[in-house]
Amino acid sequence: MCKALAAEPWPENAALYQQLKDEQILLSDNASSLAVQAFLQMCNLPVRVVCRANAEYMSPSGKVPFIHVGNQVVSELGPIVQFVKAKGHSLSDGLDEVQKAEMKAYMELVNNMLLTAELYLQWCDDVTVEEITHLRYGSPYPWPLNRILSYQKQWEIRRKMKAIGWAGKSLEQVLEDVDQCCQALSQRLGTQPYFFNKQCKGLTFQYRRLVPKIRPTELDALVFGHLFTILTTQLTSDELSEKVKNYSNLIAFCRRIEQQYFEGHDKDSSSSATSRSAKRSLLR
Amino acid sequence: MGTVHARSLEPLPMSGPDFGALGEEAELVEVEPEAKQEILENKDVVVQHVHFDGLGRTKDDIIMYEICDVFKAKNLIDVMKKSHEAREKLLRLGIFRQVEVLIDTCQGDDALPNGLDVTFEVTELRRLTGSYNTMVGNNEGSMVLGLKFPNLFGRAEKVTFQFSYGTKETSYGLSFFKPQPGNFERNFSVNLYKVTGQFPWSSLRETDRGVSTEFNFPIWKTNHTLKWEGVWRELGCLARTASFSVREESGHSLKSSLSHAMVIDSRNSSILPRRGALLKINQELAGYTGGDVSFLKEDFEFQLNKQLLWDSVFSASLWGGMLVPIGDKPSSIADRFYLGGPTSVRGFSMYSIGPQSEGDYLGGEAYWAGGLHLYTPLPFRPGRGGFGDLFRTHFFLNAGNLCNLNYGDGPRAHLRKLAEYIRWSYGAGIVLRLGNIARLELNYCFPMGVQSGDRICDGVQFGAGIRFL
Repeated sequence: MCKALAAEPWPENAALYQQLKDEQILLSDNASSLAVQAFLQMCNLPVRVVCRANAEYMSPSGKVPFIHVGNQVVSELGPIVQFVKAKGHSLSDGLDEVQKAEMKAYMELVNNMLLTAELYLQWCDDVTVEEITHLRYGSPYPWPLNRILSYQKQWEIRRKMKAIGWAGKSLEQVLEDVDQCCQALSQRLGTQPYFFNKQCKGLTFQYRRLVPKIRPTELDALVFGHLFTILTTQLTSDELSEKVKNYSNLIAFCRRIEQQYFEGHDKDSSSSATSRSAKRSLLR
Repeated sequence: MGTVHARSLEPLPMSGPDFGALGEEAELVEVEPEAKQEILENKDVVVQHVHFDGLGRTKDDIIMYEICDVFKAKNLIDVMKKSHEAREKLLRLGIFRQVEVLIDTCQGDDALPNGLDVTFEVTELRRLTGSYNTMVGNNEGSMVLGLKFPNLFGRAEKVTFQFSYGTKETSYGLSFFKPQPGNFERNFSVNLYKVTGQFPWSSLRETDRGVSTEFNFPIWKTNHTLKWEGVWRELGCLARTASFSVREESGHSLKSSLSHAMVIDSRNSSILPRRGALLKINQELAGYTGGDVSFLKEDFEFQLNKQLLWDSVFSASLWGGMLVPIGDKPSSIADRFYLGGPTSVRGFSMYSIGPQSEGDYLGGEAYWAGGLHLYTPLPFRPGRGGFGDLFRTHFFLNAGNLCNLNYGDGPRAHLRKLAEYIRWSYGAGIVLRLGNIARLELNYCFPMGVQSGDRICDGVQFGAGIRFL
């Protein structure tokens, strides 16, 4: 099976599906989608972004984003990384076992802390729920379906929060957790360009010199996806983005990846997820 | 009980057209022969009183409508006929377990010499009846609970509730039915339901939660139904291997539609009729009362039966339909038509004709299907007069086509598209009638005109259902 997958080259018409960009998509889904887009850009695999109102229900696992490559449909960053690896592209090949374990640990940290905090803010903070989430989530659907779907999803997320013990947390505690997560990421990043700076084959022109090429890994894509979205999404209050702004090396990290992997596509409509939001806050 | 006293009588002829129609409950008239002989049919009588025994919660006015004809009877045979008709009407209301009719002469001070009393002895149904079944089939077991409240407020209103709890799916339905007093054919009902369906030919799973209200009324010989329906539809893939076209249709939609149906049915039976015709025309307009699905859908069903020599019946049927999406959204897989299978064009697998993607059939926006059948008794007529009469031999010719039309072109282009790539089949088999509801068929089929993508079932094909082409 793996051999058959690897045999097919990456097609021209690979597509990534997410919800409607302007009216519907929420913070957490936008972050996940941007992470996958960044990862595919880093692997140099072209993909076009398709926005569908029912993307969440089309996905085989129920989560966005998912990619449609040839006959295959794969959803979420973890399985997509595996899928791309089977096709012969990998960003973390050069890492040794210790580093790979460390990378997995940091990715788990981002998923368990940052992603859960985003979900908490969207679905359990009453102000955000009233003013943003309910209006956006069901917006493509007619009344009363928009209300029904929104409440159904809220109930499901709250049940999940209860299961992992976050239901009792207050907003301040959640923001504290976000701060701690950012602190850990900031410390690990330090002054380096990416989280893991394994030198790869080839040279690249940087700072007017030829330097050994350093490539990002999927951890960089994941962190970029979440932090960039947090920094550039307008919420009811700025508390969440302020927590990230405390760490200047994280802001520089986001800007660096944006410039390197997304700016070339400014005129392209496909990745205007970053271009439009970028003009909003990051370049202030 | 039930003796009729008259001044001069003769024993009544036992076989007469009216007597043959009476049930056992109608009392046979015992006659005391007296001096003069007179033919009873010509004797004028007057129905003076109609009594009801056994009414509990049933209201009077609804009974009045059903029995008012009895008062108009002019002679004894007429009284018996009208009482029998009234009995049938009362049973049709669905509120009595049994109805007995007693005809007696009038007693008392105001009794006329030719006065009659008619007494209806009724037993009302209980306030609540229930049923509990378990069903097993297709790798799924389920428990079905049914509750019925007949005659809820005394005017033949009925509330039914059915709940099915299965290992895979749960479904329920609640319905309220009210006829117009005096006019049972005119009624309305309100339904609330959730049904789930699995369609392996399209790798599709559908869950519908909806509410509908409908009015039925007869106009001359036709029966009309006006219905509003609001349905929350949830579509999903049945398997990981569903095609991407079906995956794209997954999700939620809300359909709010008005529909009208007209039925003219002059057949003597709905299963294996011997004579008569059926015409059903149905139209549905969705989108103008809310929801996000917008279309106009028309479909019709026509059937003609004629008895030929030697107890054989010739039957011709024609079905067709068209779905026109309104606006720029394409039609949904849940609204399109499907063709093929043992109840449709025989010789093809269930709903496996027409547009498809990777083996999943997507349905089409326009279709037609026709069938010619010859039903004969079984060869050598085994079990004649009994069990053998339920079986018929069956020779058939079916044809049909299903496609998507390009609505920009004119009707000529549409007809041309429907006429190219016709699928057809012929064959023979045996049909078994199950009561008055369903029929089983076992046929040997030869499918022809098969297009690439269709899935056929040539050779022996078994079918069970209530509506066959």
